[in-house]
Amino acid sequence: MKPVNTQPKRSDEPIWWALFSAGGVCFAVFLPGLMLLLGVLWPLGFLELSPLNYASLQQLAAFGYGIPALALVGACICLPLFHAAHRIHHGMHDLKLNTGLAGKLLCYGLAALLSATALALLWCVLKQPLV
Amino acid sequence: MTEQKVNSSSTPKPYHSELSAFWWLKHRYYLLYMLREATVLPLLFFLGCLMYGLYSLSQSEQHWLGFVAFMQQGWVIALNLLAFVASLFHAKTFFELFPRVMPLAPAALMIAGQWLATLGVATVLFLMLGAG
Repeated sequence: MKPVNTQPKRSDEPIWWALFSAGGVCFAVFLPGLMLLLGVLWPLGFLELSPLNYASLQQLAAFGYGIPALALVGACICLPLFHAAHRIHHGMHDLKLNTGLAGKLLCYGLAALLSATALALLWCVLKQPLV
Repeated sequence: MTEQKVNSSSTPKPYHSELSAFWWLKHRYYLLYMLREATVLPLLFFLGCLMYGLYSLSQSEQHWLGFVAFMQQGWVIALNLLAFVASLFHAKTFFELFPRVMPLAPAALMIAGQWLATLGVATVLFLMLGAG
């Protein structure tokens, strides 16, 4: 019998799966409402949406909306990005595209890069002087 | 004749089943699986819109008005409507998974509770953003 390996190589999959799972919850709970309101009803003019005027949005940011805004960007952009990266990474395998490690790095790397960009953009919005 | 030739060789060839890249078109169940996986494609489009909005907000009012005009284009609204429908399909599959992974309460109750959360978030957003 082969001896039991007491120091097995740890898988990094739990990290990606946790991000996928958390992003999946956000996609299912936060995004439907956001998509319907910001993506459909607001552009069609069905909503008043006064806070979405540029000046009032800036005021909103100025009134110490830092932490809630950070949580909002994390829940509505960053985590769903990792959710999408996970599904695309495994979807490529389903489509018999053998992209291997490069595909994995590209998927999760892009998710990380875009998440950092979203957080940087939020930082710029919050730090912006009021008009 | 050729069959006999193959059989007479010393080691038989191993059997490889050929799986096409379009295996998921063969059965409704597989197709639904692939559709669920594809829900992230319109999601990515909507996330791009959100990031464009953040960017324009960080620039100037001119940029912001440009973003508003972008969002009002027909094809953008159509894609975001698709993203909304996809999010509901994803939510249905995701909510049904939860009671199977972690059976804390009767499945129907857990699924209903999660839909209630989605509805609650949408309602709060609707009230916050100013109902017309």
